[in-house]
Amino acid sequence: MKFFKKGQIEKIVERLAEKADVFVPMLRGQQSGFFSWKSYDENYDDIIFDLLNVYSPPKNIILPQTEKMYSFDQQGQETIIKPEEIPVEPKVIFGIRSCDVKAIEYMDEVFLTRTFVDEYYKARRDQVAIVANACYNPGTNCFCKSMGVDHLNPEAADVILREVENGYVWESKTDKGDILTKQVEDLLEDQEVELYQPNRFVRKVNYDGVAEKLKDLFDHPMWERYSDPCQTCGICTYMCPTCYCFDVQVKNWGDEGYRFRCWDSCMYREYTLMAGGHNPREAAKERFRNRFLHKLQFFNERYGTPLCTGCGRCIVTCPAGVDIIRMIELIKEAEPSV
Amino acid sequence: MNYTEQIREIASRLLESGQVDMVMAWEKGAFDYQSLPYVARSREDIDKIIFDDYSVHNLSTSLLRYRDSNEKIAIVVKGCDSRGLIRLLEDNQISRDRLYIIGICCSGVLDPLQAMINNSGFSRAKETPGPAAKCATCIQPNPVIYDELIGEPQEARNPGERFEEVNEIENMTVQERREFFEDIFSRCIRCYACRQACVACDCRTCIFEETRPQWVGRETSISDNMMYHMVRSMHMAGRCIDCGECERVCPMGIPLMLINRKLIKEVDRLYGPYEAGMVYVEGQKPPFSVYDEKDPDDFI
Ligand code: SF4
Ligand code: SF4
Ligand code: SF4
Ligand code: SF4
Ligand code: SF4
Repeated sequence: MKFFKKGQIEKIVERLAEKADVFVPMLRGQQSGFFSWKSYDENYDDIIFDLLNVYSPPKNIILPQTEKMYSFDQQGQETIIKPEEIPVEPKVIFGIRSCDVKAIEYMDEVFLTRTFVDEYYKARRDQVAIVANACYNPGTNCFCKSMGVDHLNPEAADVILREVENGYVWESKTDKGDILTKQVEDLLEDQEVELYQPNRFVRKVNYDGVAEKLKDLFDHPMWERYSDPCQTCGICTYMCPTCYCFDVQVKNWGDEGYRFRCWDSCMYREYTLMAGGHNPREAAKERFRNRFLHKLQFFNERYGTPLCTGCGRCIVTCPAGVDIIRMIELIKEAEPSV
Repeated sequence: MNYTEQIREIASRLLESGQVDMVMAWEKGAFDYQSLPYVARSREDIDKIIFDDYSVHNLSTSLLRYRDSNEKIAIVVKGCDSRGLIRLLEDNQISRDRLYIIGICCSGVLDPLQAMINNSGFSRAKETPGPAAKCATCIQPNPVIYDELIGEPQEARNPGERFEEVNEIENMTVQERREFFEDIFSRCIRCYACRQACVACDCRTCIFEETRPQWVGRETSISDNMMYHMVRSMHMAGRCIDCGECERVCPMGIPLMLINRKLIKEVDRLYGPYEAGMVYVEGQKPPFSVYDEKDPDDFI
C-alpha cells in the first residue's frame, strides 16, 4: 500500500502543482469551494481535507459558470468569427468526494455521449485528473449510497485517497493516476495500514421504482402542495454538483462582440419563457415539479440513473427547507389515482 | 419562544369557521433545528403547525404568489415580517380584507439554514449558531399591523449599533471601498435568491429578466455583478424593511444588509424621517414611489 502522513499533504499538492493547476478544497472567508493552489494564501485560506465537503460544488472547474465561446467582428460584408481558445493546462481536482466524482460522471454522459460531443466541455474535461477522497464518515445529510454511489470507490477517480490513522492511503486507479503517482513517488511510503470501518449513513432513502411511478404523477396535486414553500430561488440547482443547464447569450458593442454560455436553472422564469411571451412553467409548482421530474424520472429514462448523487447540498442550502429525501418518500407514498 | 398552541387554536377557529382558506405558518422538518414554511389548508393540517425559535422566515413574501387569487389568508408574522405586509399593501399587491394577521411579539429567532450548514459538515463551526444576524439590531420586534397579537411586547434591540458597519465602510478611502465591494461582489453566483426571498421585490417582471433590451448582462463578471447589485440595492431604497432574508439566504455569504442599511440611512437622511413599512396609512407611498418638486436634485 502506498501511504503518506497527514503532514505531507501540502507537499504532495505542491509537487502536483509543478505540472498542473491543482484545485483544493478550502474555506476562503465566507466562501467554501475548490480553489486553485496558485491562489492559496496561507494567512487567509483554510484547507479543509478534514471536513466533510465544500459547499460550492466543483462543477465550475469543468463547466465554468460563464464561458466565452467565440467572438465576432463584422467588417463590411464580412464577418470574422474567432473561436475562443480554451487554455490547455492540465488540472487536478484534489480531495473531491465520491458524490461529486459521480456528478462528473453524469456530466460526462450528458456532454460526451449519445451522438453529440460538446467540444468546450471535452477540452476541459480531458485535462482533468481526479484525486478523490473516499468517505469513511458520511455527514448528517449525505445519502449518496441510496442513490447508487459507492462512497468508498468513486469510479471516475484516477487516484483514490483513503484517510487512515495519521495519514492517507494513495491508490492509483488509471493511467492518469499512475502519472500522478510517479510525480509524488518519493513522498509516498510503502506500508501496510489498517483501513477504517466506514461509519453508517444517518439518512437513507429508497429510490427503487420512483422513476416508474413518477410517470403517472405529472398532474398530481402533490406538486402544488409541496411547492408551497419554494421561492424559486434556484440555489438548489446552482449548488447542485449535477445540474448542468446553461444558456447561450451574447454581448456586443457595435459590430463586435462575443457569445458565451452561462449557467441557467429550471427554477427561473426566463428558462422556459417563449418568444411570444407564453411561459409553460409559469409558477413555482411547474418549476419545482420539473426539477424533481428531471432528477428522478427523465434523466433516469435516458441514462439509467437519477440525476442526484445524494450529496445533500440542496437539502442544506434551501432557504425554505425543501428536502429531496422527503420528496422521494412523498412520491413513494402518493396515490397515483387522485 | 414557542407559540405553537396559541397559533393552532387560532388556525382551527379560522379554518373551521371558513373565515380563511389557508393559514401560513411553519412545520417541523427533519431536524430539531429545522422549521419550515408551511401552508395549512384544512383541519387535518392544523396539528402540523408550529411556531418556535427557528421560525425565521419572512412569510409575507409568499403572499405574492396569491396576489391574483381571491383566497382569504391567515398569516403569522413577527415584527419585521409585519412591515413586509405594509409594503405589499402600499404597493396594492394584496388587499387588507383578504388577510387575517396573527402577530407575534418576537424575542428573536435562530437561523435553521446556518444550523443546517454547521451540522452537515460544511463548516468548521459545529455548534448551533446564536440568534439570526437581523435580530441583533432589530428596531421593531412587535408587529406593526395585526388582527390578533400573541406574546408580550418586546424592546427594540441595540438600535444605536444599527449603522455601525455602514459607518465603518463610509470611513474607508475610495480605493479601499472599491476593493471591498469588488471582493464581495465577485463572489456572487447570480442565483437571485436574494431577490426571490425579498418581500420588497414584488415586480411581476424583474428588470434582470428583461430580454428586449437586456438591461443587465448574465455573465458572472465583476462588471455584470456590480450592475446587478447596484440596481438591486437602488430598487430597495425606501422599500427595504430590514427583514434580513436576502442576506440569510445568500449561499455565498455576501453582506447584503450592509448595502441595504446604507440605503435605509440615506433615504432617511434625504427624504425622512422615513423608515419603510412602519405604519399603514391607506394610499400612502414610500419616497421613491412618488414625485415631489421639492425632492433634492442638486446631484444632477
Ligand atoms: S433552493 Fe429551495 S426555495 Fe430555492 S428554488 Fe430550490 S427548492 Fe425552491
Ligand atoms: S439534487 Fe441535491 S442531493 Fe442530489 S446531487 Fe443535487 S444537490 Fe446533491
Ligand atoms: S433542468 Fe433543472 S434540475 Fe435539471 S439539470 Fe437543469 S437546472 Fe438542474
Ligand atoms: S432587501 Fe433584504 S432585508 Fe430588505 S426587505 Fe428585501 S429581503 Fe428584507
Ligand atoms: S443570493 Fe447571494 S449569490 Fe445569489 S444573487 Fe444574491 S448576492 Fe448573489
